[in-house]
Amino acid sequence: MSGSQPAGDPLRQYDSKKLGWTHRDATHLLWRTQFGASDAEIEQATEAGLEKTLDRLLTPQEESPDFESSDRLLRQVAVDTGNISHLKAWWLYRMLNSANPLVEKVSLFWHNHFATSNAKVDSVDHMVAQNDLIRKEAVGSFRKLLSGMARDVAMLIWLDSNANRKRQPNENFAREVMELFSLGVGNYTEQDIAEAARAFTGWHLRDDKYWFNRRQHDFTQKTLLGTTGTLDGEDVIEICLGQAACPHFLAEKLLATFVTPRPDKQDVAQLASRIRAHDFQMTSVFRELFGSDLFFSSSVRRSIIKSPLELVLGAYRALGNRPNLQTTIGLLASLGQDVFEPPTVKGWEGGRLWIHSASMLLRTNFAPALTSSSRFGTIDDPQSVLKSDGRKTQDDVVRYYTELLLAGDVEPASKQQLTEYLKKAEGDRGERSRGLIQLIMSMPEYQIV
Amino acid sequence: MATTRRTFLTNVGAAGIVSLGATPPWFLTRAALATEKAEKPPTEKRILVLVQLAGGNDGLNTVIPYTDPEYQKARPGIGIGKDAVLKIGDDLGLHPQMTGFREIFDEGRLAVIQGVGYPNPNRSHFRSTDIWHSARPDVEYTEDGWLGRSLDLHAKRHAGKTPALALGTDRLPLALVCSKLSVPTVQNVREFQLQLGAGSVANRKLRRRLIGDLANRPSATGSDLDFLRKTTQTALTTARKLEKVTATYKPAAEYPGNGLGQKLKTVAQLIAGDFGTNIFFVSLGGFDTHSQQAGAHQGLLTELSSAIRAFYLDLKEHKLQDRVLLATYSEFGRRVKENGSLGTDHGAASQMFVVTPGDKGGLIGKHPSLTDLSQGDLKHHTDFRSVYATILDNWLDISSQSVLGHKFPAVDFV
Repeated sequence: MSGSQPAGDPLRQYDSKKLGWTHRDATHLLWRTQFGASDAEIEQATEAGLEKTLDRLLTPQEESPDFESSDRLLRQVAVDTGNISHLKAWWLYRMLNSANPLVEKVSLFWHNHFATSNAKVDSVDHMVAQNDLIRKEAVGSFRKLLSGMARDVAMLIWLDSNANRKRQPNENFAREVMELFSLGVGNYTEQDIAEAARAFTGWHLRDDKYWFNRRQHDFTQKTLLGTTGTLDGEDVIEICLGQAACPHFLAEKLLATFVTPRPDKQDVAQLASRIRAHDFQMTSVFRELFGSDLFFSSSVRRSIIKSPLELVLGAYRALGNRPNLQTTIGLLASLGQDVFEPPTVKGWEGGRLWIHSASMLLRTNFAPALTSSSRFGTIDDPQSVLKSDGRKTQDDVVRYYTELLLAGDVEPASKQQLTEYLKKAEGDRGERSRGLIQLIMSMPEYQIV
Repeated sequence: MATTRRTFLTNVGAAGIVSLGATPPWFLTRAALATEKAEKPPTEKRILVLVQLAGGNDGLNTVIPYTDPEYQKARPGIGIGKDAVLKIGDDLGLHPQMTGFREIFDEGRLAVIQGVGYPNPNRSHFRSTDIWHSARPDVEYTEDGWLGRSLDLHAKRHAGKTPALALGTDRLPLALVCSKLSVPTVQNVREFQLQLGAGSVANRKLRRRLIGDLANRPSATGSDLDFLRKTTQTALTTARKLEKVTATYKPAAEYPGNGLGQKLKTVAQLIAGDFGTNIFFVSLGGFDTHSQQAGAHQGLLTELSSAIRAFYLDLKEHKLQDRVLLATYSEFGRRVKENGSLGTDHGAASQMFVVTPGDKGGLIGKHPSLTDLSQGDLKHHTDFRSVYATILDNWLDISSQSVLGHKFPAVDFV
């Protein structure tokens, strides 16, 4: 698949046979494409190699019967009670346990892209329907996703579609379609927004369903981004997708979320051209991206500040936590990432904006809460983990946990201090190991993936 | 002082001129006697506490024009009697439950800014709250708040710090939404203490030391790791400071057990602990009193007044009162005429209260007329953005013009 690509192309496929495939490479891939990984998963991916691991991540895997029944139950509870916090629990459960973790991670990316909040929508039914739409096309067609969003009930409520009438066009949705969903600021004019708003007039909501209100639709001529005609909403979406800015905008966001916070211009351009070549088919795009030289280059590794979900769920998966989902939801909200309730239509900006002195303390305090209380659940007992793994010396133990939690990204002096803790601390091996895990998780390095 | 109360009062507001009559009212005389405060504290020491009264407070039953016959006429069922009000002027009185406010007023520290609102008032909670929070009535979809923008102006200086926080709100209020920083919402002061986990004292002590040491490493300036390490260090230092304060901190006043009281107690603690936050946001909800208003409103005003009184006394005892400006606001007042279910519907102009760090308390501006109404609602004469502008320019030392987009005339409360 990489035959036609020129040398020096950042998206040239990483040759793991020639360049090697290590435990750390696997750790890097899994932490970026899932919400963290257990040691067993990393071992498995190391063994399986890059190709097979990408296959597992990108082709639909059958869910276990256990997963299916818990998933159904949690969802049902949310729908029956109409309580959004149950829906949050449901999604967290999927993020942690689905056999298709990349789908969940990319769904979160789209939830942030099409940031819609229950604070205004106020309906579990509509939020779950939007989530289903996202999940269906998460690693599918962006074209279908964008077009589906324009008729999605939660979105119609969120961006006031019923206020968009022939005589008084409401620009809310039209503006966001261009600014946040497809093109980005600077790639359209205010006039384009006014024209697009007219094209979306009458895309209304009736009886909790999308409804084309002919009487409120403006059937007259419009000119949008150089195209003139009796355009409607579907045309607006096609015109946007046709703009060079669209794959570019997506490429930049994908790179910043999954690869490196400040992507190179050339890398963005290259990925944009691949998105165009694949006609917004995201499976192929992700396959190329996650298998690329760029993705495995040293400059992009350990470069992303973890989102609260990556921080918390990553620790759960790495340490085998049987979680309390309700307290977890509260924690995530105080850390600034409350799923189904993003702060504004712009979503979570992420990166350094996750971090301030208050959230840093919360992040630091999460470590002891997880390792030495049952507030967020119960982690696998380190004593038995280490025993079954045959880790003997203190150096072994430090190496095991710094590889698992930091992909080995630890300065010698820090490593020494961690070993010092194991030597000096009181109690049995299990207790000392819990203290060690807490220390590793409170290192600034743990905030990075 | 050049700007005296009197020159202000004769020029007050965007629309109204206050006529004082021949003899200055008694409260003004006392205010004039109060000694002018010498100096404001340095900018970085100044604190703003914003108290939201969510739901639309019935301003007319909060500061009551008890001598106006129109008042009793409009409020036959829920009007407050002449003898019950706590008089703060010749024809104005506070709701009988607001004894705490009355005390602060008597000390010359409570400013009552009357007739505050904005043109073409919106009577939807959602929209009007957005307007107050964004301070941009003309922009339909705002992405940031007035305080958020004030922080964005100096984003570099604030990076990694906590210049503002919302306490006890479900989500971050739009007023504090920034584009270059993120403002935390916290539920409890305990969140600011470093937790060391279970185990022996020795282990905990060892971990405490190592957590600090592990974060205290040199790294490439400007890198994300450097940013994370510095922020961790700031967080640890602050937590340490706060721990000391909370260990020794004794509230000098008895806070009421109610929600607002406990939130303000936390704010006082954070101020006393030098937490480094300059802007605090707290909210008191339930003011949407469409029916059977009297009991609910009385409870809310009791909570408001007693909590703020305790906060004020606490600050005073800790000699912090000159560093703190507290302001209350609500998205709208309520209709002058009571409705058929002994309640009131959404209205327009209302008052704002400011517990001022200086000596500029007292009544500011005139009570809006009860006969010259707009769709049954009080008309404003002072734009709320004038109050914001005053807070920004005269207290937070941030250019109000940059934040609000226009120059608004100042109101003389700080």
